[in-house]
Amino acid sequence: MKKYLSKRILSSLLAVIGLFIMVFFLARLTGDPGHLYLPIDAPLEVRKEFSEKHGFNDPIYVQFGRFVGDLVNGDLGYSLRKERPAIDVVLEAIPITLSLAAVAMTIALFGAIIIGSLAAYRPNGIFDRISRVVSLTAASAPDFWVAITAILLFSVSLRWLPTSGMGDFPYWIMPVSILVIRPLGLLVQVVRGSMITALSSDFVKTARAKGVKEKSVIFKHALRNGLLPVITVAGDQAAAIANGAVIVETIFGWPGIGKLMIDSILQRDFAVVQASILITAIVILSINIIIDIAYATLDPRIRHK
Amino acid sequence: MKIKNFSIAISAASIMAVASICSPAYSAGKTLTVVLSEEPDIVDPCEATRSNVGRIVKQNVSETLVEIDPKDGSIKARLATSWKQTDNLTWEFNIRKGVKFHDGEDLNAKAVVKSINRALNPKYDCEIRTKFFGNMSVSVSAVGSHTISVKTKAPQPIMPALMGTMTVVSPNTQEAKGVRNPQGTGPYVFDKWTPGQSVTLKRFSGYWGSKPVVEDVKYVFRKESAVRSAMVKTGEADIAPNIAVQDATDSKMDFSYFNSETARLRIDTSIAPLNDIRVRKAMNLAIDLEALRGSIFAEGVMPQTQIVVPSINGHNPSLKPWKYNLNEAKKLVAAAKADGVPVGKEIILIGRLGIYPNSTEAMEAMHAMLTEAGFNIKIKMMETAGWLNFLSRPYAEDRGPMLLQGQHDNNNGDAVFSMYNKYACKGAQSTTCDAKVDAGIKAATAATGENRRKIWQEVQRRLHQDIVPDVQMFHMVGFSRVNPRINFTPSISTNSELQVSQVKFN
Repeated sequence: MKKYLSKRILSSLLAVIGLFIMVFFLARLTGDPGHLYLPIDAPLEVRKEFSEKHGFNDPIYVQFGRFVGDLVNGDLGYSLRKERPAIDVVLEAIPITLSLAAVAMTIALFGAIIIGSLAAYRPNGIFDRISRVVSLTAASAPDFWVAITAILLFSVSLRWLPTSGMGDFPYWIMPVSILVIRPLGLLVQVVRGSMITALSSDFVKTARAKGVKEKSVIFKHALRNGLLPVITVAGDQAAAIANGAVIVETIFGWPGIGKLMIDSILQRDFAVVQASILITAIVILSINIIIDIAYATLDPRIRHK
Repeated sequence: MKIKNFSIAISAASIMAVASICSPAYSAGKTLTVVLSEEPDIVDPCEATRSNVGRIVKQNVSETLVEIDPKDGSIKARLATSWKQTDNLTWEFNIRKGVKFHDGEDLNAKAVVKSINRALNPKYDCEIRTKFFGNMSVSVSAVGSHTISVKTKAPQPIMPALMGTMTVVSPNTQEAKGVRNPQGTGPYVFDKWTPGQSVTLKRFSGYWGSKPVVEDVKYVFRKESAVRSAMVKTGEADIAPNIAVQDATDSKMDFSYFNSETARLRIDTSIAPLNDIRVRKAMNLAIDLEALRGSIFAEGVMPQTQIVVPSINGHNPSLKPWKYNLNEAKKLVAAAKADGVPVGKEIILIGRLGIYPNSTEAMEAMHAMLTEAGFNIKIKMMETAGWLNFLSRPYAEDRGPMLLQGQHDNNNGDAVFSMYNKYACKGAQSTTCDAKVDAGIKAATAATGENRRKIWQEVQRRLHQDIVPDVQMFHMVGFSRVNPRINFTPSISTNSELQVSQVKFN
């Protein structure tokens, strides 16, 4: 298990280094940040002066050398737009996205396990049919439309919930619900499929023959085996949310990493782009390692390989 | 039956209880909540020309020596009580006495000189410098306890208007770096910035002017126009200074106003077939502005005849907008073609996504209209970063004929802030060149008073009638939503500032 994990961590580190080099060069292909930083009417002399002052005129290999040197000293650069260290800006945003992602994924996972298992218990029964239609609809509903519709209904018409913003419990209801919809819809489908397979397996038939209670057959015997594909999909979904729930963050005014990344790319704030991608990559790779550990725990064949 | 009724009552009570727990924070009391579209990156008054910074700090936290009246572009006293030109190159400003900064420092000539020098320091990319003073040599000095002298190498007759952009900060403000807690002389003290969430201001008890009604101000940030308008509708916010036309659906809350922006397609007049004036006139005649107004563009937009809006000094009110006449457009195209002008050559129309609401639809509609007149147009819609590559010099040597979707904002009182940059032969964003226009711009820039106005008006006439460097579209309108509990009328200046001291409660 230790060897397996070390290998995974090492390959993840190599992936982060590769990603970082790629981001550095790709970001600079988009052009000079001075074009976006300075006002549209800024004279040419001011533009030249800006580029020289910030080293954007230097050859790309000189800029890369400077970047690597700073990185070795633990310096991820300085945000031109915010006039602050880029890492401070990113570390402010990441907990917001992670807390949204954690709550949404927990609800989606447990909800999917319950709904998917019950749907799989009687395939093509009334509950299965309803859950299938609802989950497929949920998985394909556009977040933007759902979010705006929810605001108009629950905030403007019914006045039950705040339109947006961060705060206590009521402020979490709409953003989290909208984040939950898609992973829940997908996971219900995955749980249902894998549980139908698990429930028709020989070990389930044996358990039933031995007189084990039905609840225990579903949630203990079948579920443990049916969970493996669910973990893969849940991991992917969690990584997608951690990568930035851009639409939810933008509409509800949650200043998370997704919104920060998009804004910094559009403004060519290179230091923030790099720092946010690095931190997000580390988070996603950590999620992947946690998934690997969960896999190994649930399936002894993996840890004994 | 009784049990059923009881259950219904319990359910209803539960729903109401949940609903009451969930009740959002409504704006109330003497606190004003303003919802802006974008959080500022920095709140230094030196960046107050950016609308998301200006709406928070300009004239609220940090004041200018003078201010420009949005109604007619005239210049009014603020921190300066009077000003005069002592020679061609020098202006003197008398500074108001008895004014304190929020940190207790006195406002005097030395403080003002230090503040202006900070803004003009090339080590700091302050937007006031890069936008208005970028290619100007200025030296400022104190000539008395409350008098400053501003000297330039070239005559600057509009120096008072320029000082309308120059925010004054405390002498204790750090040099060459933006600040996150600005100290000015305005009616509100910068209180707190919670990144990503809000900025708050508190009323300044030591303010020199009359005491404003609003005690506290809270700025929150929501990118989506639908959310901003919903916040005012529900009472979570009091003012949403800019909302999209499709969200301005409540006549009791929504105001439309000329926002100082002017939309156009810039024509690159140096390249065939656009170097032929008949082609450029035909393009203007081919655009049915009335069909665009009230459909893709808001009902309130005004067909434009020049790049500055009517309240700006130098606007020429006698010019008439182009009238849609497809037959005449086709005739001009045919005449040009007969003379060997390659009118069928592909012309690239560079558009910018989101430059104004429905910008893509506008380009598609204009593409169809120009095609109908006989032009071969290809649209390229771009993000801001890509679009900027085509906006300013140096232009690509091998570029083809090109139209550029643009929108220009000038609410600084005078046409000088637009004309050189956009239409002079060496203007950074000019794709036209005419000796008479250049001479007019030079003469107007150095002139004063009525003479200045007349020269500008002649330049506008020549551009509109004799040069035709643009496909002229509209002076644009903005929409603001205002909660009925407050008394505030948005104006052209709401595009760049929002003076809280002007807000009253109903």
